[in-house]
Amino acid sequence: MFKKYWTLFLISWQVGLAYPLSFALWRFRRVLTTVMSLTVWSVIFGQQTSVFGYTQAQMMGYIFLVSLLQGAILATSLNSLAGDIYSGTISQLLIKPVSILKYLAIQDLSDKLKNVTFIILETIGLYFFFRPEFVLPSLSVFGLFLGWVVLAIVIHFFIEILFGTLGFWSPQSWGPKFLFFMVVEATAGTLFPLDILPAWLQKGLYLTPFPYLSYAQTQLFLGRLKQSEMVINSIGLLFWTVVLGWAAMVIWRKGIHNYSAAGN
Amino acid sequence: MPVTQPLIRVSHLKKYFKVYKKEPGLLGSLQSLWQRQYEEVKAVDDVSFTIEQGEIVGFIGQNGAGKTTTLKTLSGLLYPTAGEVSVLGFNPWDRQAAFQKQFALVMGQKNQLWWDLPPMETFLLNQAIYEIPETTFRQTLNKLVEILDVAEILKIQVRKLSLGQRMKCELIAALLHNPKVLFLDEPTIGLDVVMQKVLRDFIKTYNQEFKATIILTSHYMDDVKELCKRAIIIDKGHKIFDGQLKDIIDKYARNKIISLVLSQKVSRKDLEKFGELKESEFPKATLLVPRAQAAQVASRLLTSLPVEDLNIEEPPIEAIIREVFQTKAGS
Repeated sequence: MFKKYWTLFLISWQVGLAYPLSFALWRFRRVLTTVMSLTVWSVIFGQQTSVFGYTQAQMMGYIFLVSLLQGAILATSLNSLAGDIYSGTISQLLIKPVSILKYLAIQDLSDKLKNVTFIILETIGLYFFFRPEFVLPSLSVFGLFLGWVVLAIVIHFFIEILFGTLGFWSPQSWGPKFLFFMVVEATAGTLFPLDILPAWLQKGLYLTPFPYLSYAQTQLFLGRLKQSEMVINSIGLLFWTVVLGWAAMVIWRKGIHNYSAAGN
Repeated sequence: MPVTQPLIRVSHLKKYFKVYKKEPGLLGSLQSLWQRQYEEVKAVDDVSFTIEQGEIVGFIGQNGAGKTTTLKTLSGLLYPTAGEVSVLGFNPWDRQAAFQKQFALVMGQKNQLWWDLPPMETFLLNQAIYEIPETTFRQTLNKLVEILDVAEILKIQVRKLSLGQRMKCELIAALLHNPKVLFLDEPTIGLDVVMQKVLRDFIKTYNQEFKATIILTSHYMDDVKELCKRAIIIDKGHKIFDGQLKDIIDKYARNKIISLVLSQKVSRKDLEKFGELKESEFPKATLLVPRAQAAQVASRLLTSLPVEDLNIEEPPIEAIIREVFQTKAGS
């Protein structure tokens, strides 16, 4: 039963490593982004000890953490799903005795683990260069942190499936996808901590699933959440997991009914 | 004697698509922004047939006739607009694993091989997906690799293989689980004549060895002639013929071909008195004559002209089918 998914997992890694130069350059781009971010914040902290309520150590820790969470939560192999559906590429998958959603989930997970593995290696390198001070959370908070990361991965997977389902009806999936990329970059906390924004905007953002896709996890890890906030965030994560999961399943089923299996 | 159910049963199958139409040019593009025109295309329109176990049936039709749509519906990829389909006793669109483990669909222009990896990786993944025991997998794989002569390329990246090599590997990937039903959609498209022959021989062997039921679509009539006793002709979504391939000749061939070898030159005008002159280059000439009069015309030719040799032939099946479609288009 699990052999098929394990074999797929290994194949997905192999595909990712089939073009080592492209992969190395992609990773280099990510490292460069992190280095730029670390450098900018180091300069800002040069003249002051606290910015937006963050110490330099906390901000450095935030950037390292966000880089890791980006690889684990936001990186995905499903960007071309809508195109694959519209062009009929998924036909070969649909006729095989395998759950297509599990198949896509394993591919996505494999991609994330590949990213995280390399991010950890890169982080070790950057650690010796920037020497950030990490204050590790308690074991129970760390456990909760891992749970939140898993839920965020699941939420992001459902969002990707929802974007993918556009391919059942229209070839025009890249426009909304690009908009989504930009919104997530700005609202998941990957560019800057969301608590530097006005309070009303923060409250508004918490009505969407985006802050749960990295920002909430960083705040938990850095010990910036009260117990009541941990409960509210946990409920928020569970709520979005259920709602988006339900929406993804319903729309996927409708889409499959409408599938035109384009191409010869 | 027990009554056996057909392996494939298609009853009043309909599949309609809604397609978007746009007027040419920039103005058409702008108009389509606020007013889109759609047209309903009847890809398959009330098609019924049954297929017994072990049959190889050729699906013949022009581009857009509905052949591939029918195969996709039988595979469970498409939901029909109306009608009933049963393959191996299953509703294909229920997509049950028990059904999916018993059939394969090979599309000549879509591949299932992992493009950036050697074919062996796809075979191993299919072994896991179809839950094929190791011993059975190795036995089947070795046999297929030997018949198709691909041992040397199993570890080479798919993208670096030739079209023929890729098609052979596609067939192996599709057959590893020994499917009882095989849908082949243009399996020889783009291949050279040698490779077409290799694949045809292989399909024939597979059918005989595994008693597999095969539906084949192809633009190459040689594929259909060599592999299929039965043919179904589809035109614009409608079935227009279903029967033995040889019966197409009886039903649709209006003429016979008389080939002559002459001992002396005869003018075109004299030859044209006996039928439609298709070719004339001394000493050979070819005439097209109505089927019913073929024997009588041949006898007259022998007595009236200096004929050294005479041969009466049926027209090639390609020509008859072309005529079928032309007649239908005309009507």
